[in-house]
Amino acid sequence: MHKLLAIDRRIIFTLVFISVAGPLLAGISLPITPTKEVKAAYNQFEKLDAGDIVLVSFAYGASTQPEMQPMARAMLRHAFRRDLKVVAICLWPEAPGLAQQVLEEMAAEFDLEYGVDYAFMGYKPGTFSVILNMGQDFRSAFPQDQWGTDTGDLDLTRGLRSLRDFDLVLDLAAGDSIEFWWIPYGQEKYGFPFVAGCTAVMAPDLYPFLDSGQLGGLLGGLAGAAEYETLIDNRGSASMGMSAQSMAHLVIAVFVVIGNIAYFVARRTSSEQKS
Amino acid sequence: MRDTHFLLGLLLLFAAVNIGLVASGILVADWTGLGIIVAAGMTLALYSFLYKDNPLFKFAEHVFVGVAAAYMFGQYWYPTLYGELIAEWTDLGEGETPNWWLLAPTVLGLLMLTRFSLRFGWLSRYAFAFFVGLGAGLTIPRYISSFILAQIEPTLQPLTWSLEGLNWLIVLVGVIGVLVYFFFSVEHTGAAGHISKVGIWFLMISFGASFGYTIMARVSLLIGRVTFLLEDWLHLM
Repeated sequence: MHKLLAIDRRIIFTLVFISVAGPLLAGISLPITPTKEVKAAYNQFEKLDAGDIVLVSFAYGASTQPEMQPMARAMLRHAFRRDLKVVAICLWPEAPGLAQQVLEEMAAEFDLEYGVDYAFMGYKPGTFSVILNMGQDFRSAFPQDQWGTDTGDLDLTRGLRSLRDFDLVLDLAAGDSIEFWWIPYGQEKYGFPFVAGCTAVMAPDLYPFLDSGQLGGLLGGLAGAAEYETLIDNRGSASMGMSAQSMAHLVIAVFVVIGNIAYFVARRTSSEQKS
Repeated sequence: MRDTHFLLGLLLLFAAVNIGLVASGILVADWTGLGIIVAAGMTLALYSFLYKDNPLFKFAEHVFVGVAAAYMFGQYWYPTLYGELIAEWTDLGEGETPNWWLLAPTVLGLLMLTRFSLRFGWLSRYAFAFFVGLGAGLTIPRYISSFILAQIEPTLQPLTWSLEGLNWLIVLVGVIGVLVYFFFSVEHTGAAGHISKVGIWFLMISFGASFGYTIMARVSLLIGRVTFLLEDWLHLM
């Protein structure tokens, strides 16, 4: 038992790696059942009519790309399938490259016209003050788009005055922008429908906002993205990763159980030896 | 010495694999192909820390910090500092006047930098005083409204003989238990002790849930990198 407690951590790393790589290589796919909060986010998009405008805020960087990018892809795909218009902004300095990548993929897939079907306003520093600024005057917060075109020259953004002009706001976040920026300074103040996608680490802290209605739906981590892919019937990278996720969880759970059994047996043995 | 040989062997293996991938046409010898090879190398170098701390890991770590800092500086400089401040004065069209109001935040921002000077550091207090005052004024009412008032309603839902009613009861018991646990003006003995123990159980369960979600997040990131290595680099998927 003492040997088991002193197992080389590299063995555990190797087994976790195999548990991830194995299902990916084998192409194993497991059934995915969407949860209530992901369905709620999906329904918020379903409620909108063609031509309605969605504000998508990108607040994540390269370090959380594997979790967040599939989520962005799935939700934007859903939006463009329903002929919704998308205005994208970035509140994290690392986000513009990732946001642009997803938007360009969607533009190619749905044959979208820039400035009419979607617009990309780029990054703006200032965290919650940008949200307050957008609430008062959208064009003062974003006078130009990512490429320097005047906001008033784009068909999509010409008529936007305030956050109240958006039919839905979506925040894709890897930091504290959902609960500390958008809810207090945006949703509570201007009352727009608000949904969010976040990393799995953040998800437990956001559940109270679902109960209070401040959040209309929530996607948590890769699992949330996979559930959304299931709802829109488009199995992407998140769904592919879920079998690896389940296998890795199984390996970790087995090690947690073995570690606990070994710990209690070793403690009992040493106390018996002492007595 | 053994570790040095091991690392050199890994580098040679990495080079051989890439030469093979390019020679066989799996990876195209263009900028995209080079980008994939660099990204694969950096990923493997960072994960090599799981074996042991080593120069490859340190190199990749330093490159990442440098690139991230430069990227962020670019994001702050071009669209904001240059695009919205400097260009306001330098790129004026005919008949346009600069926005003089921008001088106020600019001066406050510059005052922040005086902290680097022993002689003029006191000037930064004016900028900090402004930001602390503004931040408190904006934050306090919004947080009271969003985090206290808006959260009281779902906590105090009518209890019914249903699963939903049970859910609300659990929420109510949890909130009261945790509040009592964090109420330190009363000794945690007797009834207060029992209730605070309930609070500890709720806290433990919430920590467990958070830890479980954290594991899920970390595994997701590993899945992302493994998918990149197997699909984009090695084309095995």
